[in-house]
Amino acid sequence: MNETKPIKSAKFVASYGQNESVIITYEDNSVLGVPFDNNNTDYQNYLDWVAAGNTAEAAD
Amino acid sequence: MAVQISGNDITVPRDGTFSRNVSIAGTLTYEDVTNVDSIGLVTARNGIEVGASPGVAASISVDGNMIVSGITTIGGVVNASSDIKVGSGVTVGKDGDIFATGVTTSSTVKVGAAVTISESGIEASGIGITCGNLNGSALSNRRNLIINGDFFIHQRQGAGTLASMYLADRWYGESSGTDEVPTWSRESLSSSDTGPWEEGFRIAGRVTNGNQTSGLDAGDYMYMNQTIEANNLAQSGWNYTSSSSYLTLSFWVRSSVAREIGGYIRTYDGTAQKFVWTVGDVSANTWTKKVLRIPGNSNLQFDTNENIGLQVQWRMSYGSNYTSGSANVGSWVTLSNADLGQDGATGNDTWWTTNDATYDITGVQLEVGSQPTAFEHHTYAEELFLCQRYYGRYNSGRIAHGVAGSSTESYCTFHPYQPMRAAPSITVNALGKVVKEGTAWYDISALNINSSGTDQYIVTLQVMSSGGNGMSGTNALTIGNGTDFSLTAEI
Repeated sequence: MNETKPIKSAKFVASYGQNESVIITYEDNSVLGVPFDNNNTDYQNYLDWVAAGNTAEAAD
Repeated sequence: MAVQISGNDITVPRDGTFSRNVSIAGTLTYEDVTNVDSIGLVTARNGIEVGASPGVAASISVDGNMIVSGITTIGGVVNASSDIKVGSGVTVGKDGDIFATGVTTSSTVKVGAAVTISESGIEASGIGITCGNLNGSALSNRRNLIINGDFFIHQRQGAGTLASMYLADRWYGESSGTDEVPTWSRESLSSSDTGPWEEGFRIAGRVTNGNQTSGLDAGDYMYMNQTIEANNLAQSGWNYTSSSSYLTLSFWVRSSVAREIGGYIRTYDGTAQKFVWTVGDVSANTWTKKVLRIPGNSNLQFDTNENIGLQVQWRMSYGSNYTSGSANVGSWVTLSNADLGQDGATGNDTWWTTNDATYDITGVQLEVGSQPTAFEHHTYAEELFLCQRYYGRYNSGRIAHGVAGSSTESYCTFHPYQPMRAAPSITVNALGKVVKEGTAWYDISALNINSSGTDQYIVTLQVMSSGGNGMSGTNALTIGNGTDFSLTAEI
């Protein structure tokens, strides 16, 4: 069973040229700003998504 | 032969009858006496034995001991100046103590006028009952490992018709494969909700099924669950690697369709384990209180960290993909998605195929010990505090203060309501505005979390706005005026 929502896309947010978070858009179109924290389950879900071969879009 | 008198001896060869007293100065020896009836004292200088010798049934010896081998019936009061003993098992002490080494059975025991122990329980007035633990666990408050077990807290607000969502704080509902997604909600109870109402529950968590026209396919499922931090299990006092140490889950449940109530529990640390559970069937539309006892197991592991330790799941319906294996109901086994519930459980399919079928639960308590205790009712503020470790919503007038880095990019820091489980994610519900105090509010164009300045204790927000707001580096600023966001550190 899925215990995490499937991710549709992701995009980095930068500050002074450095990525500071990632904005995740889920399949249900909900949007979440996620910090780079290994204890954050949304970030864990994002890392799984990347490990599955996906890539976040670069920051503006 | 007649009476003979020879010297000092008298021999009487026939029956004798004396109409007056008989005095004997020496020893009287006689045999075959049928009855002895004395109108005065009987004195036996060497004791009394009753019954044929040897093996007399009763005797009283000259040292005061009395031995009776048969039943003794005493119609009056027994006064004993020393202890009374029954075998080696019971002693009634002269000082008022009673010691019994075996089982004592009594319908009612009273201690003075203050304490009565009967089959219905213990009633104690005065100072009540003092004990070191209750149900094998600490006698402290916060026995419940479930947070928001009465569904009272719902910071996200409102119901939702979605595949998955938090229907109340800490309570997550999820479905997959539906033709029409369900509605997750909180329902107010009334005095007609016999059972939970009397126990003080005013809200229940509810899922209302959609119209599943294609039936329950193999990969379909719907459930409600709550996850618990590993820390909370590891330090709960549950000796979880012992099969004689227990958690007890108790809750009220109601379904609009008669069905079996069950689900599964799973762990995450070490080799993930699962415990498929059932607490039997319920009739349609009838609140029923259910209790489940969960033993420990040598394969269970709970690390001391903030990550997920345990998930408790209530099944609405599972497709055959999740019931095709051996469920091993009531036993801990290695997790496998193929056997999360027993196949053919009453109502599993019927509930799914019943349009608008409902499933309600409330009063959920998971505690250490082998018996359920009364639900811990907390104040709203206490339960809200526990919930805000995982989720908090922020939408007051002026939420955070910061410093402008430029006319378009600023940073605000603020403390969450309480330290969160992890550095939180942000959901922006409304951007609101930013202001350099003393000037006009300007629209915020983006609100992002900044990892460099964010942890469990403090949050740093990157605030983007259009130029022309009059701000420049180091200007103090405030965000708010419609800003509405949520911080999430759920597990």
